[in-house]
Formats: sequence, structure tokens, C-alpha cells
Amino acid sequence: MASGSAVLGRVLTWAGAVRATDWDALYAEQLPRVYNFFRYRVGPDAAEDLTSITFERAWRARERYDRNVAGFSTWLFAIARNVAVDHARRRKPDVPLDAAAEVAAQGTAADAAERASDEARLARLLAALPERSRELIALKYGAGLTNRAIAREMSLSESNVGTILHRTIQDLRAGWDGGTEDEQR
Amino acid sequence: MNNDDFLREHAREPRPEFARDLRARLRDLEPAPRARRAAAWRPALAGAFALALVVSAFAFPAVRASGQAFLDLFRVRNFAAVPVDFKRVKQLDDGHFDMKTFMADRVDTLEAPGQPVFFTTPAAAGAAAGLDVAAPSFLPRGLVRDTIVVERPGSARVTLDGARLKTLLDAFDVKDVTVPANLDGAKLTVRTTPIVVQHYASPSGARANLVQARSPEVSLPPGVDLAQLGEIGLRILGLEAPEAHRFAQQIDWHSTLLVPVPTDAGEFREVTVNGQRGLLITSSEAEGGGARRHGPRNMVLWADGQKVYGLMGSLGREELVQMANSVR
Repeated sequence: MASGSAVLGRVLTWAGAVRATDWDALYAEQLPRVYNFFRYRVGPDAAEDLTSITFERAWRARERYDRNVAGFSTWLFAIARNVAVDHARRRKPDVPLDAAAEVAAQGTAADAAERASDEARLARLLAALPERSRELIALKYGAGLTNRAIAREMSLSESNVGTILHRTIQDLRAGWDGGTEDEQR
Repeated sequence: MNNDDFLREHAREPRPEFARDLRARLRDLEPAPRARRAAAWRPALAGAFALALVVSAFAFPAVRASGQAFLDLFRVRNFAAVPVDFKRVKQLDDGHFDMKTFMADRVDTLEAPGQPVFFTTPAAAGAAAGLDVAAPSFLPRGLVRDTIVVERPGSARVTLDGARLKTLLDAFDVKDVTVPANLDGAKLTVRTTPIVVQHYASPSGARANLVQARSPEVSLPPGVDLAQLGEIGLRILGLEAPEAHRFAQQIDWHSTLLVPVPTDAGEFREVTVNGQRGLLITSSEAEGGGARRHGPRNMVLWADGQKVYGLMGSLGREELVQMANSVR
């Protein structure tokens, strides 16, 4: 029935329907998830800027949001994913993501110091992932979505999401452990 | 150590100063308190609009096809404003009467609309919606497009209930009308088509939404004379009996969507948009509240035979109509 009302509710778009929503509570709940989505998706350097862009877009559009609070997260991450795509599009001509690990591995003293940081090391591993795998990791570990929610978001089957995540985590784990061993030598 | 602990440990809390500054910026995007009076009639209008949609759906003339049980079909081609008492409409939002709750167990979902989808270009949104997406070439006050959303289609079947309609009439103190007995149990189907919403904003706080879609459709079973229900609906909206009767006789219920306009909060007039008849609805505070942060809230509705359009925003009347006329 709820979605039956949603069908009727769609018509209200014409009149700019507004539902009272506790935006402060939503903000507090969603900010860490969006911020961490971007940390995993594009790296820590751009995470704050892209989080700001996402919330500002959502805030400007929120008068059109007439769904329940549970759906808000899906709506917000749809915006966040678009923001990430725009960001990647802007950056690609400068630094292809697939080459990021190779660039980072070419060593200056500063790079060596950076590599000592777990955060930078993981960022390099993530940057080397295919786009789809990285997005899955970001939605899983940054946004904290369930496999089912990710499947819905990315139009994949839940089992497909599980399989890709499993393989990706194995690859990352291997890279992580290999990096640790390299540093220990 | 779990296999993915190294991934989980990468998450961080946002810096407190970042969280605080961003929230402050978002608050700046929110309407100032003094704009509330003008905004208050919008949800009221939305509630009335829902009611009007149902009223319109109820109010088709009898189907005169002989023997063939096809569905009568309603598509929006015209809009008609109905002046209504603001207090009356406000009852819809004050818990006095909630249309959705009232109809809750009488609505069956046929196709759930799902969540809206965001796009970065009109072409991509149009491809998803199956529409040639039109856009305005005139953008006043430094407006730029910042979001495009496609609302997915959906459909639901509503089973009418004569007893509840009587309750509805009683709730609005309409005692002198009779609900046709053969209405009870009749089923109507509401189909919403994909809706493309382009949101425009300017650094100064001006906003506008251009909404476009093929007409929503409402189909009704034949054999039920529902013409008088349009009149009943108008009574619910607060029109006196003679006025409701006259209005009901003038409307083409197959193609006209009623838009209730609270008389003490808004006004309306007919305008021409790209050669078509349109309806301009303005907040009564629209042009006079110079100190309001986001300016007036006005709306233009029109249809071109292929699509139905709504342009609403914090713009002056002339700006809004000019913007609507530039939509191609």
C-alpha cells in the first residue's frame, strides 16, 4: 500500500509537495557515510569537497523529496555517485586512475614517506581497481550499504555483488599483505 | 583479524569543523523564517491538488459506448483553477483529513515507481524517460541548471468506496449531496508516466523547477455516471452549490485538471505559453514581499498536446512566464 500512495504521491510533484523532514538528524546520520563513500571512491584528498557538493545538491533539491526517510539514503547516494562520476571525468585527462598506482610507486622521498602510511597505501590499492569494483567497495565500506542495497543501486544481482566484492577484497588483501612484506624487508 | 578489517579501518569521522561549516552553509540554503507564510500554501495546494486529481478522476461523464467494456481515459490537456477557501484546504494538512490515509487500504500498487534517478544531461534523462526533454533558453537572475531527476513511472488501482466518500463529505460539512450507489466498488487506475525535473539555482538563492512529462492517465470503468461527482468534488473544495454546478457544466472532464488555489494565499490568471493556454498561479505575497530571501513562489502550468509542463520557482510573474515561453 505504501507504494500505492507513492504512485499518487508522484502526481504531487506537480504542486511541489513538501514533507516535513528532520534534516538535522538526516545530516548527522548521513554525513559520515557520504564522506567515507568518497574516501574510498576517490581518495581522502577530494572527500570533503565532494561531500560538500553532494549535500549542497541534495539540499537544493530536497523540496522535491517526498519519500520516506529510509529512501533518503538511496536518493542521497544516487547524487553522490553522480558527483563521483563528474569528478572522475574531470580528472581522467590528467591522471588516469589505472595508472595511479604506478605513478605513486615511482619513488621520491616524499612518496616513500607517504607509502609508509596505511592510508596512502590503501588509497593506491583502491586507485588501481576497476571503476565498478572501486564503487562497490566505496558503497560497502564507505557508505555502509548492504549487498542488497548495493545490488539495487547498481542494477546488479545480489549474488553478483557478493562475488565481485569477494574477489576484490581478495585482490586488495593480497596487495595489502604484499606491501607490508615489502616494507618489512 | 578478519579478511576485510584493513578496509573497515580506513573509514574516518569527518572533521568536526568541516561538519559544522557544511551544516552552516546548508542552513544558508534553507528558506528564511519570514518566507514561511508564503510557503505555507504550497503543501496546502499540494493536498488540494491530490484531492482535485481524485475529484477529476471521479468526474468523468458517463461512457456512452454500447456493449463494449473499454475504459474511459483521462489525459491532462487543460488546467482550470478553482478558487477555494484557504482554511478549507488547510484542513487537508492539519490532520483533519488525510487523503492518503483515508484511501490507504483501497489502493493497490500495480507498478511501484521506485526511487528517482539522477542524470547529468537532459539527453541522458530524456533517454531514460523516453521523452525529448525541453529546456528553457531564458534563465533569469543568473539561474543555472544544477540537477536533473527522472521520477520513474508507476501505477495504482483505487477502489472507490461510497461510504467513505460520504464520510469525506461529512468531514467537510457537505450535507446536501447524495453519493451515487453504483459508484461503490468502482475501480479507477492512476498511471504516472516518467517525470523529468530540471532544477535551477543561482548563487543569490533564486530557484526554479521545470517539470515535464506525458500526462498522467486515469482510467475508469464504463457504465457509471460520474458527472455529478465532479460537482461533489467542487463542493468538497468549498464551492457553493450553484457555483459548483455551473463550474462542473463548463469543464471538459476528460482533459481538464483542476488546480485549487486558496483565495487568500494565491491568485491565478490565464497566460499564453508557446501558443498554448496556460495557467499562472501566484502567491498573493509574490510581488510585494521584497525582503523575502528567496522571493516569490509562482507557478505556470501548460500542455502542448504531447507533454504537460510545470514551471515553478522564486521568480516574478513576468520572469516566470518569459522563462516558460523559452522552453523548447
